[in-house]
Amino acid sequence: MTRIALHARLALAGLARSPARTALRIAVVTAAVALLAGMLLFIGHSLRTASASAVRQVPLDWQGPVSSYKQARAVATGVSRQAGIAEAAATATAPFAASTHAGPAGRTSTSQGSVLAVPPGYGRGIHTFRLLHGSLKPGDVVLDQQMAATLQARVGDRVTLEPRPGSPPKRYTVSGVGLITVPDQVFQPLNPLLGPAPAQPPENAVLMPISTFARTLAPELAPITAANAASNAQPGAQKGVQWEVQAQLDAGPLVAGSPSAALKLADQTRNRVESSLPGRVQFVDNLSDSLTTASEDSLYAQALYIMLAVPGALVALGVAYLAALGTSERDRRDLALLRARGARRRDLVALAAAESVGLGVAAGLLGAALGFVAVQLLVNGGAHLTTGRALVTVAVSVLLGVLGSGAARIAATESVLRRTVAEGRRSAVRDRPAAWRRYYLDLLALALSGLIYWLTIRTGFSAVVNPDANPTLSLSIYMFFGPALLWIGATLLLVRVRGRAVAWLAGRAAARNPGSLGSFLLASAGRRGPAINRGLLVVGLLLAFGVSLAIFAATYDQQARADAQLTLGADVTVAAPPGAIAKHDLAGKVAAVRGVAATTPLDHSYAYVGPDLQDTYGIDPATFPHATSLRDSYFLGGTASQMMSRLQQTRDGIMVSLETINDYSLKPGDLLRLRVLDQRTGHFRVVPFHVVGTVQEFPSAPRDSFMVTNLSYLESATHAPGPNEVFARSTGDPGAVATGVAAATRGFGTRVENLDDQTAKTVTSITTVDLSGISHIEEAFAVALAAAAIAMFVLTAVAERKHELATMAAVGAPLREVAAFVWSEAGLVLGAGVLLAAGLGWLLATMLVAMLTHVFDPPPDHLAIPWRYLAALGGASLAAMLGSCALAARRLRALPLGAILRER
Amino acid sequence: MSTVLAGSTALAACRSVSVTYGRGEARVDALRDVDLEIAADGFLALLGRSGSGKTTLLHILGGLLVPTAGTVSWRGEPLSTLDAAARGEARARGIAYVFQGSNLIPHLTAWENVAYAARVASRIRGEGPRPNALLTLVGLRDKGGSLPAELSGGESQRVAVARALAQQPELLLCDEPTGHLDTDTGGRVLDMIEALREELGFALVIATHDADVAARAERAPELAGGRIREETGPR
Repeated sequence: MTRIALHARLALAGLARSPARTALRIAVVTAAVALLAGMLLFIGHSLRTASASAVRQVPLDWQGPVSSYKQARAVATGVSRQAGIAEAAATATAPFAASTHAGPAGRTSTSQGSVLAVPPGYGRGIHTFRLLHGSLKPGDVVLDQQMAATLQARVGDRVTLEPRPGSPPKRYTVSGVGLITVPDQVFQPLNPLLGPAPAQPPENAVLMPISTFARTLAPELAPITAANAASNAQPGAQKGVQWEVQAQLDAGPLVAGSPSAALKLADQTRNRVESSLPGRVQFVDNLSDSLTTASEDSLYAQALYIMLAVPGALVALGVAYLAALGTSERDRRDLALLRARGARRRDLVALAAAESVGLGVAAGLLGAALGFVAVQLLVNGGAHLTTGRALVTVAVSVLLGVLGSGAARIAATESVLRRTVAEGRRSAVRDRPAAWRRYYLDLLALALSGLIYWLTIRTGFSAVVNPDANPTLSLSIYMFFGPALLWIGATLLLVRVRGRAVAWLAGRAAARNPGSLGSFLLASAGRRGPAINRGLLVVGLLLAFGVSLAIFAATYDQQARADAQLTLGADVTVAAPPGAIAKHDLAGKVAAVRGVAATTPLDHSYAYVGPDLQDTYGIDPATFPHATSLRDSYFLGGTASQMMSRLQQTRDGIMVSLETINDYSLKPGDLLRLRVLDQRTGHFRVVPFHVVGTVQEFPSAPRDSFMVTNLSYLESATHAPGPNEVFARSTGDPGAVATGVAAATRGFGTRVENLDDQTAKTVTSITTVDLSGISHIEEAFAVALAAAAIAMFVLTAVAERKHELATMAAVGAPLREVAAFVWSEAGLVLGAGVLLAAGLGWLLATMLVAMLTHVFDPPPDHLAIPWRYLAALGGASLAAMLGSCALAARRLRALPLGAILRER
Repeated sequence: MSTVLAGSTALAACRSVSVTYGRGEARVDALRDVDLEIAADGFLALLGRSGSGKTTLLHILGGLLVPTAGTVSWRGEPLSTLDAAARGEARARGIAYVFQGSNLIPHLTAWENVAYAARVASRIRGEGPRPNALLTLVGLRDKGGSLPAELSGGESQRVAVARALAQQPELLLCDEPTGHLDTDTGGRVLDMIEALREELGFALVIATHDADVAARAERAPELAGGRIREETGPR
């Protein structure tokens, strides 16, 4: 038999000899591995989802300007033959000066608009428009829905298009009505050097076959070429025909990996295609633009996942390590015995390694499976494993399992190797203080953590996404040190304390009533400080991990919704044509909808501050705070309620941005003259306002400068026919309430939006990173591991103390009294662990949130406390403690007293 | 062969007791068909080599172990058919042990070890001697605050004796009480146990492989291969 085979056999025999101990070690390493495997799967899934989302958001990947129809067709043919291209089409866009329709209601016309000309079959891979009625037929046109409504034209009607002012109109039959879904991209000026520049969509748009376009309209207009491209480059300034090749990439390979990988692939494909058609085409790359944003977000997401998950994984591995330490005394004796029988140093190491491999493989396989199940159950959309990904996950999990179990076992082996056989057989082992103890690195870490936190909140270290072409996440390194050093410092301090505080407290309490059961329990617990501290270390840190994660995730979720609400304005918003809200009492109609708690009308208009045109919001300060959420952090110089009160008390009061305050050297009480549009005369007029405060953020307001004033005063100045928006707060699901609101206001030309849709739509912001998946996984594991840790503490205590407990039973102590020595310590550990978790968890969450304050928009006013989860975490730990104590009591009843007491 | 101590009032008794450990090839018959009675004030030494079944028989007598076959009684009541809790209560009613390795509770001081046993006994048997008095009795009044790890082997064994006395025993079962001690210390511990027995009047059973120790007893049946082979004494 070879040496390796011999070691493997001995290791397996050793594992099989103590099945319960082996199962416990496998279970703990499995939990740690499962957390890491779940995180890996989630990150992979999250990145692929981000890629898919970024790719899906771009219905038109590339637009390559060319100078003629002929060239467009030739290049499109060349591009479509390339690998990785789903579709390439020769298309064109062009302006028209006017359109008319003579129908039963009379003659109607529109002002200028734009034409999109596409070839037959366009739409199989490129989705820039959607047909609502009819079809696109040669010689005919499809009208955009809005233009069809303006012209009151239907399928079969005849319309005319005037290519240029004064040129003879061209007559077409309407063969369909459709909707151009991405007009800002389709009609954007094309300059490959500048990249995408989404344009103001045209009010009127027409689709026509490119052959029809080339025959009828194109001859009337000059083509845009390299020579005159600059004069057509301003949005809305297109004067000629823009011939172009539109192309869509094959999405499959793009969504198989991360956004960065997709971006790299897309860029490589574009370079290859362009170089294969040298000098003939260069593309405006809409896809890369979207993927670049997604790459930045995903880098941020990865950093965040790692920051949140790594402490949990390390604590979980710490549980595995301590589980092995729980049996290390026995391991030491076993190994010392082997050494005494002639085994050499390398044999002992090989045996420990073989055992670690055995444990690690089992734990790795189980952990990978458990991680997969967790992701499948807890992450929206599941893990989507392919064979390759599954194999990689299993391989990484097994490696982690082997490393985890190996780290635990090596500690025991190393101890044996450092000692003589006789020393190894002793239970009590004295260790030389480690360097960190001698140099007080624990206290130093805590002090540094505090300093970094102080600097973070004082100077605002923050995460910054670098907007360069190569997406990188520029993060202040100090930021990460804060919570990391807090973890390290707190852990080492607990190790240093080694239960001295427990011993001191227990000793004092025990001395109060000597001879009572309580005094014996306290005296015993006080002298088992290191063992209790070991349990406290594991249980307390796991609970702290759960608490910090849950508070952070809840705050993050709260801010994500706040971000969406800030963008949208309220739970439900209703925009209406001028005058409709006042004329039809839409605010009252919305308020009457079931699920609407409060409403407020507002007027969104514009006004000039000097030469700057700024968004201006006329609100009713009395009702506004009831219909939406205002945070104190939106304002400078007062709380939200104070600012609303000031505005309410000052009829011509106005709140302006800090930029305006600085640019115009304003202070509260100053007169501010604005030029506002008088809707009665159609001219701007100067109106006096008085500054009452500074506003940084406001519901539905843009991120740059804007102003907030009283609705009544603004309306008196602009002579507007009433507010043009209504904000509503819902008592339940905003989506359902929005449906009711839409039904109640149908027929008045309203546009109803809701918070749920907005949360899903908000991109390039904090809400892009959906933390719910990873936090669900980690929260679930925190609950499971905390419960397992307290149960492990109880069962290990029984195993370690069985001689002592058997002695108590031998002197006639009732079993329930003997059991009290176990459960009282478990209760002490859980109680102290909860206190530690409350303090440390809160500190960690505060630090994490402070770090991300500059990412959150708006920044959080307070931490969100997820009481339900915290109760579940505490409840699960308590249930595990009670359950394991009940199990321990059963074990005590069945203790083989004779066998145990004759062991020594 | 079995031995019955006839003509005395039986405090504890074994009838046809057998104890088997393991199964199949690993089966060990630790005791085979043993009969034994212990008088209320008797002093019995169980003599035998290592593995002869002495410790097993002591554990059977105190209810720490349940026989594979046969019955055990304590003060005329069956002991071996009781559950673990009831057997524990029976021990609290007057059975005390002094183990070979003292088996003190490692996280309680000497005083606390004695006091804990006293507390357990007092719940059933009323107040007994004070822990301090017992420690004084065994000559360790000044060691009450020491943890077992801080005591020498002899001191630990004396604390174990004090703890056993705190249980107000009617039957004291000593398993090689001097096994880990040198001859002088072991002799002093035995002298002390004998003196206490004389003073307090409990029945004493000492398991030993030492013929000199056995010679101190009123009777000394010898165990071999799990059977009682012959009896020595009375002195």
